[in-house]
Amino acid sequence: MAKMNKKWVILCSTAVAAVYAAGYFTTETQASIQQQPQHTQINIQSNGGQSNDTSINKSPTSSLYQDGTYTGMGRNRRGSIQVAVTIKNDKITDVEISDFAMHYSESDVVGMPEEVIQNQSAKVMNVSGATYSTQAFEDAVLDALSQAQNA
Amino acid sequence: MKKTKLYMDTVVDIQVVTGKWKSKDEAEAKINRAFEAFQRVEQACSRFSPESELMVACSQIETSIQVSPFLFEPLKFALEMAKWTNGVFDPTVGKAMEDHGFNRHYLTGQSIESPSADSVTYRDIVLNQEDRTLYLRKPMVIDLGAVAKGFAIDLAANELKEFDGFVVNAGGDLFAGGLDERGNPWEIGIQHPGRREQIIHTIRIPNEAICTSGSYERKSAIMPGMHHLFHPITRISPNDWISCSVIAPFAMMADAFSTASFLLGTESGKMLIEQADLRGILITSGLQIVRVGGI
Repeated sequence: MAKMNKKWVILCSTAVAAVYAAGYFTTETQASIQQQPQHTQINIQSNGGQSNDTSINKSPTSSLYQDGTYTGMGRNRRGSIQVAVTIKNDKITDVEISDFAMHYSESDVVGMPEEVIQNQSAKVMNVSGATYSTQAFEDAVLDALSQAQNA
Repeated sequence: MKKTKLYMDTVVDIQVVTGKWKSKDEAEAKINRAFEAFQRVEQACSRFSPESELMVACSQIETSIQVSPFLFEPLKFALEMAKWTNGVFDPTVGKAMEDHGFNRHYLTGQSIESPSADSVTYRDIVLNQEDRTLYLRKPMVIDLGAVAKGFAIDLAANELKEFDGFVVNAGGDLFAGGLDERGNPWEIGIQHPGRREQIIHTIRIPNEAICTSGSYERKSAIMPGMHHLFHPITRISPNDWISCSVIAPFAMMADAFSTASFLLGTESGKMLIEQADLRGILITSGLQIVRVGGI
């Protein structure tokens, strides 16, 4: 049994090591010398929604969006959301959540006596659960994109 | 210090206990490098962007092509799990997932429709370790949803290991390293499958990953009763479990084992976790909690 565990652990540790060994993900000192990779962006060039040919990259003739970082607002079931979307050459390079309240506090713990809950400060806890989607953020991202759009 | 970004259609949250020795800027630089791991893995493994390394590779049939370790390593792990489970876990379900409506890019809203042979299995993928090449026997769509995120978490954790404590949480799959602000092992809640805002169980883990596969977050929009986890051959979503959490030394391992145990159902799912000497907290559809591995 322990032997079986070892096999999977080795697969995982060699996987992490492989990324560094191949120089794909450099250590900090190397990183300062190396240029940032250029293919780490998400294309937002829309061609109407459907794409049957996955091998062709359509190159835009003029840019649709202005480079920069834009703030977008949206709402989810726990309140308002603010995102900062960074765009470069019509590509989304970064989406940071600047204000988000997807928090669980200890008062959310099932079965904890009322008195205990009241004595707890609202400590934020990390939660493992089925991966929730980013649907709640879509409006906020679209809001940011609309501001970035070239008139 | 804490930062939150979106990657791989989920919310990635990184927090670190800075301690005394790190300046704020240094800590932030480290966190950004950890986020970069997610960006790199997403760019390599996404089946939602036609330009991803995976989708470019999927369009080249019967040709050996060299791929980066960001794609090769999680794919290798997924194939090992496919062999181990006799194909109950199978990364070639990508096309079936597209057909079930899991076909939209989370940021652009663009949907994808990719060419694929009618019947594909993991045996149609050949990996060559020597020169890190990938060879596909048929056109197919590979889905690395059960390993890529775990792999990104592991790479991010590796970038953060110098901190006294850190948590990389990617939408409910996480690695907790070191100790929390109070010097205790991180306390992790397991989400209640029925009541969104509640926790059904808590656990403390030092330097370990916990990943949860559940059927309660991602339902198929076009096929009633179906969710994002289903049997590759019958194409039916199993419902023995409603949530499977697995604790492992690596997130990629916890990620793949939680998905595979969910797919295998009550007995085989439990056995899978036991055989690998892992611990798990499994919840049946009737909300009965089953503990595996002496938790």
